[in-house]
Amino acid sequence: MKAKAFAARLALALVAAGNAASVACAADFDWKKFQGKTVTFLANNNPVAQALLAHKADFEKLTGITLKVDGYQEQQMRQRLVTVMNARSDEVDVFMSLPSREGPQFAAAGWYADLTPMTKGAVAGDYDYAGLSQALLKAGTFDGKLTSMPMNIEGPILYYRTDILKKCGVEPPATIKDIEPAAKKLKACDANITPFVSRGLKPAIAYTFSNMLHNIGGNYIANGKSNLCSAKGKEALATYSGLLRDYGPPGVVNYSFQQISALYRSGRAAMSFESSNELRTVMDGGERLKDTALVPFPAGDAGQVPTAIGWGMAVSAHSKQPEAAWYFVQWATSPEIQKRMALQGIAPPRSAVANDPAYRKWIEEEPVRKQWQAALDVLAAKGSSEVGYPIVANPESREFIGQAVQDLILKQKTVDQACADADKGLDALIAQK
Amino acid sequence: MSEAAATFTEDRQRLELAALSAPAVIFTVAMIAFPVVYTVWLGLHSFSSTGKQSFVGLANYSRLLADTEFWHGLWVTIALYVLSLVLQLVFGVWLALVLFHAKRLPGIVRSLFISPFMMPPVVAGMMWLVILDPSLGAANYILQSLGLPPSEWLASPVWVIPTVALIDTWQWTPYVALIVLGGLQSLPPSVYEAAQIDGASAFKTFQRITLPLLLPTIVTATILRSVDLLRFFDIIYITTQGGPGNASNTLNIYGFRVGFEFFNIGYASALMLTLTAIVFGAVLAFNRLRGAVAW
Repeated sequence: MKAKAFAARLALALVAAGNAASVACAADFDWKKFQGKTVTFLANNNPVAQALLAHKADFEKLTGITLKVDGYQEQQMRQRLVTVMNARSDEVDVFMSLPSREGPQFAAAGWYADLTPMTKGAVAGDYDYAGLSQALLKAGTFDGKLTSMPMNIEGPILYYRTDILKKCGVEPPATIKDIEPAAKKLKACDANITPFVSRGLKPAIAYTFSNMLHNIGGNYIANGKSNLCSAKGKEALATYSGLLRDYGPPGVVNYSFQQISALYRSGRAAMSFESSNELRTVMDGGERLKDTALVPFPAGDAGQVPTAIGWGMAVSAHSKQPEAAWYFVQWATSPEIQKRMALQGIAPPRSAVANDPAYRKWIEEEPVRKQWQAALDVLAAKGSSEVGYPIVANPESREFIGQAVQDLILKQKTVDQACADADKGLDALIAQK
Repeated sequence: MSEAAATFTEDRQRLELAALSAPAVIFTVAMIAFPVVYTVWLGLHSFSSTGKQSFVGLANYSRLLADTEFWHGLWVTIALYVLSLVLQLVFGVWLALVLFHAKRLPGIVRSLFISPFMMPPVVAGMMWLVILDPSLGAANYILQSLGLPPSEWLASPVWVIPTVALIDTWQWTPYVALIVLGGLQSLPPSVYEAAQIDGASAFKTFQRITLPLLLPTIVTATILRSVDLLRFFDIIYITTQGGPGNASNTLNIYGFRVGFEFFNIGYASALMLTLTAIVFGAVLAFNRLRGAVAW
């Protein structure tokens, strides 16, 4: 009994000491510690980075650190990163990364600095590490190393036109099986409207297709082999490609987010399965503000397993000033900055920010924003970050998925041929170390 | 001055000249040679997705021979090259003749004719992507207004190569026309006067005099366009990224994706060196042809 009491007291003392140490650490935290240094940030010139960099001057004022921004479009940013990292150069201190895409690859190459000790070391008192989406933190952790801090949360959701559906007597689809009959009815009702649109461009397909596959109950790998030719895999391939082929716009094989958002915003599509990030683009001009509703993608046999990913901020393993770089990462992913970004339409990866009064006021201003947040809540709660195969060669795996879907849209192969060809190539990728 | 002294002065001058020009020569050779040598070195290595490298000798090249995507890319590259080149030469010569004979054409109209090739290819690609969008683009709107069926343009595996060739032709025909126009302006007027005296028709004059005399200029334009067309990249990447499927996946697009999207730099280098060899081969062949048609 005495031993138990002693152990309990010891445990309490250790916890108290730990807490005191972390409080002391937060209290000692000095934003000006790296004053005069220059941190280089390799950014993807997308809405997330644009929203963040609108506050660049505040970071420089707060820390005295000069922030040098090296901004590129997404693919060009990766090219630059590959070149810098292969040369083991310290030119880049912080870079944006999509853990769901390049995470396993970059982690295996040793390009990410381990952020785990940083999150336990020099951390500002109001950082609230625990408040960040645990799912996204997990998605950015490889072999026990935290490789990036989440900047936002996003995923594909279904945008649909309430007025057109009402006019055509169509109920919003509640399940995946409801989409095809709804699209058929819409096509018969108004020939000028594209009933359903989603991604058909080869490298972009995996983003939306993965949601359908997971909702149907399929998975990419089973017993170490590619699983597209399983019954669920084939069902997902047939359903996704069938919807785009029979009810999508002409030329859908070249459609990615730009074309989809343009089509929907122009009022020529009834249902659009596209990224939550596109809300601002779709609502630009205000024409779709009052006639659009948003929901997570309808459930399949496995319910709703939405795709939920987020851009992360990583510190380069070759940076010569990882501590200063961490200051920037910490500032950029802090509750205050994420709140500011949220007010610019970047979904926050923190529930506390999502509940912030100023953010709630912004959300309450329009019904469509409320639905957007509700859909994001589902993404945060149930989301899977698996976009394409969870392997080192993830970007290449997306090619095979895209090729199989395109072959079916273009009627160049049967489902059995398309999935078998894809599985063959994907098995070789899975076997790669 | 004795002969020996003069020789000594000459040698010294030569040495001074060599010493003064050496930095520029070394810099130029390094700038040209280093990337080539480095690419050859990369092509002899294999890089895993995680950046680990190993020497593989010529394995990347033997892999290339067995790679169906390489052969498909080669076919697409050649198809696009031949189609674009023929269109650009035909329309380029025609445009040059129009500009040559229309002496009173206002300067602004002349500038408009030649403006497309001054447009950055990325801008041109984006512009045509919007125009050719099957749902929202102006091209199908015009076709349908004329009672013609709409096309899928860049989204059709059948039409994508002709469509990309047309975009490139729209952009680069004026460039060919400018080269040919320069050739036309340098033709001797005496042969035309002789043809006129002999009563030759306009077509016969073009067929028997203008075209043969222009051949060296046309071959020069062919060489310049061949180099660009065989390594055609920007407009394809902007408009189709090699799709739909792999219908417009040229060797250059394929090599880029292998290198920068799948991070297999070794194999991508082998692909690019092969493409470089093809470009050099084409240039050498046309250079010989230029020698044969010179007058």
